[in-house]
Amino acid sequence: MNNNTILQVSDLYVAYGSIQALHGVCMEVHKGELVSICGVNGAGKSTVLKAIAGVLKPRSGSIRFKGKEVAGSKPEQLHKMGMALVPEGRDIFPSLTVEENLRIGAFGRRLDKSYAADLEDLFSLFPILKERYHQAGGLLSGGEQQMLAIARGLISNPDLLMLDEPSLGLSPALVDQIFELIIELKSRNITILLVEQNAQRALGIADRAYLFSNGRIEYSGRPQELMDNVDITSVYLGGQNGGDV
Amino acid sequence: MNLAKKLSNQQENIKQPAAKDISQYFDFSRKSSTVVILIAILVVIGYFIWWLNIPFIEDIFTAGTITLIMTLGFQLFMGNSGILNWSYVGYVGIGAFASAIFSMTPAVKTMQIPTMYPFLINLHLPFPVALLAGALVAMTVAAIIAWPLMRLSDAVGAITQFALLIVINVMLSQWSQVTNGPRTFTLGGKRLTTLWVALGVAVLVIIAVYYFKESSLGLKLRATRDDRYAARSSGINFVAVRYCAYVASAFIGGLAGGLYSHYILSITAASFYMSELFMILSMVVIGGSMSVSGAFFGTLLVTLLRQFLRQVELFLTRSGFEASGSTEIVVAVLMIIFLIWQADGITGGRELSWRSIKRRLPSGSKKRNKVLKNKKQEEKA
Repeated sequence: MNNNTILQVSDLYVAYGSIQALHGVCMEVHKGELVSICGVNGAGKSTVLKAIAGVLKPRSGSIRFKGKEVAGSKPEQLHKMGMALVPEGRDIFPSLTVEENLRIGAFGRRLDKSYAADLEDLFSLFPILKERYHQAGGLLSGGEQQMLAIARGLISNPDLLMLDEPSLGLSPALVDQIFELIIELKSRNITILLVEQNAQRALGIADRAYLFSNGRIEYSGRPQELMDNVDITSVYLGGQNGGDV
Repeated sequence: MNLAKKLSNQQENIKQPAAKDISQYFDFSRKSSTVVILIAILVVIGYFIWWLNIPFIEDIFTAGTITLIMTLGFQLFMGNSGILNWSYVGYVGIGAFASAIFSMTPAVKTMQIPTMYPFLINLHLPFPVALLAGALVAMTVAAIIAWPLMRLSDAVGAITQFALLIVINVMLSQWSQVTNGPRTFTLGGKRLTTLWVALGVAVLVIIAVYYFKESSLGLKLRATRDDRYAARSSGINFVAVRYCAYVASAFIGGLAGGLYSHYILSITAASFYMSELFMILSMVVIGGSMSVSGAFFGTLLVTLLRQFLRQVELFLTRSGFEASGSTEIVVAVLMIIFLIWQADGITGGRELSWRSIKRRLPSGSKKRNKVLKNKKQEEKA
């Protein structure tokens, strides 16, 4: 493990009751990288994110975050260490205002000038959130809620931002916006671990990718190599236009 | 393609202020108008009733203010955590008995409750201290038993709280050495909870409950109400925040109980059971459980309604028509109607604020329309 590795997962086993969901997953994420996890439904993509974020307890294996063993830690501890998970399905707090949703993302930091500066920065990415600052999160549209969820993850200045299916259930135009946003975040040197069903889009922007199948990593490496491998594409990505919207 | 640029081009009409000033994004004082309005309403009504000087109406107001303190304490936990807290009236009862025991003179205690433990008989504190001590006893009981219960949510959490209420109620009604058992516990002496005492405590409690809700602890709790799992992955320990709110809620409940016992002057364990809980619950539901304003206006509305219905009930009974208990039925039906059509109550779960009033005023909406019109014209141009 070199200094550049921010997350190292080795031999991770996770089970839902008696159903084994992950069979010895090994993966790593380096600083500033955009790593994408692809695979069909039920391949264990979200499971691995949840296990890393502490939402699920691994049965065995090790998760090292910033050099510390964190397997079995509580999500709130991991959040304090600098991990931010943007969960699947626009998991915002609907009865709280946009302001309060963002403040929750910012717990652990003081509400001072640097917070205001970061908010300004966020509003340059998401102008709509500034407009809706005092409205309840539940009143936002689906795309706006997804942006709020990502903004809530970003405001904590995380060392690792994990996005779970950010484009799920959004219109094609909004999916474009979300992917452009992820590219923008990458250009700002934010380390991102992205789980996406929309494999072709995700591979298009990732530095490295892991292809999951039945709770195992079938392939890992450069996205270009993965895409060049037609067999894998047809089997796991559902054909040439499989991942496209 | 630079998304930031693209989006800001789309949103050119939004002006981005250059100053990085936190007060623009987070300002505690901006939210304080709610507290000022609620307290002003309460004090004005209280002052007017004191000036009227009609004992019957003064009693209604004092009792109503004590009930307001109860509902506020109830809202503190239930409104922010979303868990129906049945055991709350149990803490009101503990506070009522404890503060009474603290404030009564040894002579009265030996006469009224001969079975009482000697060390309790010799205890004697002045009224304000006794009131606080009673609330602290309720809070301590909550602090000791609540931790393992805070993990439980939804139906399981509510059922557990219900079982806890039974436990507390049986303790209050059977522990003869402390509460005089199932017999009436008479305080003796004169009424110590006057209109101004109740009003003063209510003002403090409004401030406390409102700022609790707006504090980061309250914000964390409201986040767990919306989505426990998302809250956890945002670094919120939901057991800890619930525990703090539950204990604080028990403290306010105990305070209200102490005021109640020093107002009514004779209590039994049955005074702190289902019918009391139903009354508090109906107020919070009809007002809107998610906001402090909801608890406030719910109490005001239901108190007035109950007084009115009671008069109707009396009138009907006098004229030979058996109508006793109809007040409870009407309030219960009203609560059901609210739960079906307006589950967030009359306030819709929002706080009454200076802004929300201005928006409703005709001049305010005119101004807003003007602004909108100007915006549209700008867009055209």
